Amino acid sequence: MNKPANKLVVEGLHLKYGDNSILKGVSLTLNPGEVVALLGASGSGKTTLLRAVAGLEQPSEGRIAIGEAVLYDAAAGVDLPVEKRNLGLVFQSYALWPHRTVFENVAYGLRLRATSGDDIERRVNDALSNLGLGALAKRLPHQLSGGQQQRVAIARALVYNPPVVLMDEPLSNLDAKLREEARAWLRELIVRLHISALVVTHDQTEAMAMSDRILLLNFGKIEQQGTPEEMYDRPQTQFTAEFMGSNNQLPGKVAQVVDGRAMLEGDGWRLWGVARGELKTGDAATGVIRLERTRIAQGAGENRVRTELITDMFLGDRRENLFKLGALRLRCYGEASADGACWLELPRDDLWIFPQVSGA
Amino acid sequence: MTARSFSIPRTAVVAITALVIFMPLGLIFWQSFLNAPFFNPAHRFSLAAYAFIFEDADFWSAFANSIVIAAGMVLIALPLGAALAFLLTRTDLPAQRTIEVLVLIPVFVSPMVLAFGYVVAMGPVGFYSLWAKDLVGDVPWNVYSLASIAVIAGLTHVPHVYLYSSAALKSLGSDVEEAARVVGANPLQVALNVSLPMTMPALFYAAVLVFFLGFELFGLPLVLGDPEGHLVLSTYLYKLTNKLGTPSYHLMAAVAVCIVAVTFPLVLLQRWLLKSAGKYVSVKGKATRQKLLPLGAWKWVALAIVALWLIFTIVVPISGIALRAFVEQWGEGIKLADVVTLDNFRGVFDQSDQVRAIINTLLIGTIGGGLAVACYTAIGLAGHRQQGGVAKILDYIVLIPRAIPGLLAGLAFLWIFLFVPGVKELRNSIFSVWLAYTVVWLAYGMRLISGALLQIGPELEESARTAGASSARVLKDVTVPLIRFGLLASWLLVFMIFEREYSTGVYLLGQGTEVIGSMLVSLWGAGAIDQVAALSLINIALVAVGLAVALRFGVRLHE
Repeated sequence: MNKPANKLVVEGLHLKYGDNSILKGVSLTLNPGEVVALLGASGSGKTTLLRAVAGLEQPSEGRIAIGEAVLYDAAAGVDLPVEKRNLGLVFQSYALWPHRTVFENVAYGLRLRATSGDDIERRVNDALSNLGLGALAKRLPHQLSGGQQQRVAIARALVYNPPVVLMDEPLSNLDAKLREEARAWLRELIVRLHISALVVTHDQTEAMAMSDRILLLNFGKIEQQGTPEEMYDRPQTQFTAEFMGSNNQLPGKVAQVVDGRAMLEGDGWRLWGVARGELKTGDAATGVIRLERTRIAQGAGENRVRTELITDMFLGDRRENLFKLGALRLRCYGEASADGACWLELPRDDLWIFPQVSGA
Repeated sequence: MTARSFSIPRTAVVAITALVIFMPLGLIFWQSFLNAPFFNPAHRFSLAAYAFIFEDADFWSAFANSIVIAAGMVLIALPLGAALAFLLTRTDLPAQRTIEVLVLIPVFVSPMVLAFGYVVAMGPVGFYSLWAKDLVGDVPWNVYSLASIAVIAGLTHVPHVYLYSSAALKSLGSDVEEAARVVGANPLQVALNVSLPMTMPALFYAAVLVFFLGFELFGLPLVLGDPEGHLVLSTYLYKLTNKLGTPSYHLMAAVAVCIVAVTFPLVLLQRWLLKSAGKYVSVKGKATRQKLLPLGAWKWVALAIVALWLIFTIVVPISGIALRAFVEQWGEGIKLADVVTLDNFRGVFDQSDQVRAIINTLLIGTIGGGLAVACYTAIGLAGHRQQGGVAKILDYIVLIPRAIPGLLAGLAFLWIFLFVPGVKELRNSIFSVWLAYTVVWLAYGMRLISGALLQIGPELEESARTAGASSARVLKDVTVPLIRFGLLASWLLVFMIFEREYSTGVYLLGQGTEVIGSMLVSLWGAGAIDQVAALSLINIALVAVGLAVALRFGVRLHE
C-alpha cells in the first residue's frame, strides 16, 4: 500500500499560540509500514503536533515532508493547504458527517478525487467490509454504536490510500471494556493492511500495545523516543520512568557512587540502584522502581527494607499491598503476611536512581 | 424534585396566564361568528362576517400581497443572512466585532420608525431622493411599490436570519469541517457539502420565522403601502373601520381569525423545527480553535457589501429621521440651512398628549418591563423542574400569543377593557397597554427566562432539597438568586422591546394610554410629519440608551 519513499519526516517544528510556545522544536520520522505513538500528558502538545502535520495548525518554524513531497517548510515558504496534503485523519470525536450515510461519509474523499462511480462503489465496499461494516452502508451515523462509528471514521481515512494515517486518541471515546478489544483489533488492522500511522494517545499501555515506536512528549519537547521495550525498560529520565508504568518513588540522598551504581539513603534505609544521569555523593536524588519488580521477601537481606503493611486491595488477578516506610508509602503485588511487619526487596538492577531535577 | 406537585401559587399562576391569553383570543373567535358587535343586543350567530370578507376583492389582494411580501422577504433575507453569518463566524472579515453589534440595530428599531425613515429619506421628495435627482436628473427608485416594500422588509430582517444561522454555525463542531478538509475538500466545498447541509435545519427555521414576521408586518406596509394603495392583511384590518364608517367588529374579528389561522400553524412549525434543529448539534467534538478562512483581497469586497447593507438599513432611514426632525419642511429647491429649527421638538413638548406618550413609554419600559419580567419569571418558575400536566400546558399556552400579531391583541384587549365589568375602570390607564404588551411578548420573555433557568444545574437545587429545603424555599434561596443576572438582562431586553412596540397600542390609544409607538401611527394618519419625525428620533434615542447599557454590561442581545 505504501511506496518505500513515503517516509514522513518532521524537522524542528515550532508552534506558538500567541506568546505561548506549544511545540519547541520537535523532530520525528515515520517509516512506511510503521506505527509511531505520540504519548504525553494533556498539554504536552501531542495533538497539536498531529494537527500541524495535517495542516490544521500553523507552525512558525520547521519542515514537514512525506517522501519527495514537502507539506510545510517555513524557510522555503511552503505551506500546503490541508486538502492538498492527501493524509488520512481519524478524529477523537470521529467527526462523522451526520447528514451523510456511512457509504457517503466514506465515499466523499473519493468523490473529491474525481473517482468514477463504479470505482467508488467497489473501493468503499472494500473498505467497509475490511472493517466489518459491510451491512451498515445505508445507515446514518447516529444509528451506529460508538465502536461502529469509530470504524467508519477509520474507513473514511483509509479509503483513498493516504501515505500516512493520523489518529487522534482513536480509542478514547470507547468505554473501558470495548477499548481493550478495539486496541487489539486496530493493531491487527494496521499490521494486515500495512498502514503507516501516527497515533496520539495519553495512555501508555495503549501506546505500547499499538505502536512500533513511541515518542514521549513533555511540554512541547521530545523527552525520549524508542521501542516500547526501550521506553519501559530503559527510561533515561525520571519523567519517562514515571510516565511509562506504575512505580514506587523513594526520595533520598546519594550516599555513595561506584561504577554506574549509587547508594541512596533515606530515613532509616539504604538501597543500591542503577545510576541514571550525573550523580555525586550528597546530591538529592529519587529512586524509582516498577511495582511489579518490588518483591515481598522473607527476612532481612541485601537491598531490603523493613516496612509495615497498611492495607491490601484485591484486584482480581492479583493483590496490591500498601506498605509504610517512615513517611513513605510503597506498593507491591503479592500475598503479604497479615501480621504487619514485612520485608520488601528492591533488586539493585531494577531500582533506577535519578538526579533531582532542578526546580522540580 | 421532578415529581408533580400541586401548590396554590403555582395553580394561580397557570390559571391567570391561561385567562389573560384565552380570554382575548376567545373573544375574537366568538366575535367572528356573530353578525354584529357582541355588545349589540341584536347579535346572533352567523357566518356573515366571513361571507363578507371572502367576497371583498380587497381582502384577497391584501392576502396575496401579504404572501408576496413574506415570500420576497425570505428570498432576500435568507441568502444574505446566511452569507453574513458565514462571513462573521468563519472568515477573517475585518471589523467583525463592530459589525456584530451594528447588525442587531434593525431588530430593536421600531418598524414604524424605520418605515417613516425611508419615506423622509428615499420617498419622492426625500433627502437622498433629491440629492440623487441633482446628480442623475431623476429619482431612480420608488419606495412605495410592492417590490420596494418587500426589499426593505427583506433587508431589515437579515438580522433574524443572521442570528439563527450564526448560532448554528458556532455550535457546529469544527471537527466535521476539518474532517472534510483532510479528505481533500477545499474551503468552498467544505462550506457547500458540510457546513451548509448541517445548518440547513436552522436556516429552514429562520426562513419560516421571516415568512411569519412578513405575514404579520404592519408598520412598513402601513406607511409605505398607503400612497399607492397596497394593502396587506394587517393594514386591511386596520382600514376596515374607515371602509364601512361604523365599528365593524365582527368583520375585524373574522380577518383576525384568518390571520391567526395562518400564523398559528407557522408557530407550531417553528417549534417543531427548533427541536429538530438541535439534531446535528449533539455530535460535538473537542472545542479546538477554529482556523479562520483567509479571504485575501475578497475581504474588501465582502466588507463593502456588508457596509452597503448597513448603510441602507440603518444609516439611510435613521439619518433621514434625524435630518427631518430638525427642519421645518423639506422639498425641492429648499436649502438645508434655511429651514433648520427646533420647532418640531417644541411642538411635541407643547402637546400634553405627546408629553404623556413619552412619559408613558418610559414608564412602560422601565417599571412595566420590570413587572413583565416578574410575571414571566413567575410563569417560568411555575413550570420549572415540573413534569407532566402543568408544565406541558404552560409550555403550549405561552406559545399562543406568539401567533397573535400585536394589532389583534390590542384590539382584543380593547374589547375586554371596554365591556368586561371590573376592569372597565382601568381602560384609561396605562395598565391596559402594559397588560397587552406583556401578553404579546410572553413567548419572547419566556424564552429569555427559560434560557436563564437552563443554566442552573439540577444538582444545585437537589442538594438544597437534600439539605432540607422545601421546593418553594429552593426557588427563593437557590434558583432565583442564581438567575438574577439573567433576570436583569431580560429586563433590559424587554425594556428595548417595549420602547419599540407600536402596533399593540394602536387600538388602545386614548386619553391616558398614549405611548410613542401608537402615537406615531395616529400622527402619521393625521399627516403630522413634523411631530412624527421628532417623536421618532426620541424613540430611537430611548432604544439607543437601552442598547448602550446592554453593550456596556455585555448583555447578550438575543436568546
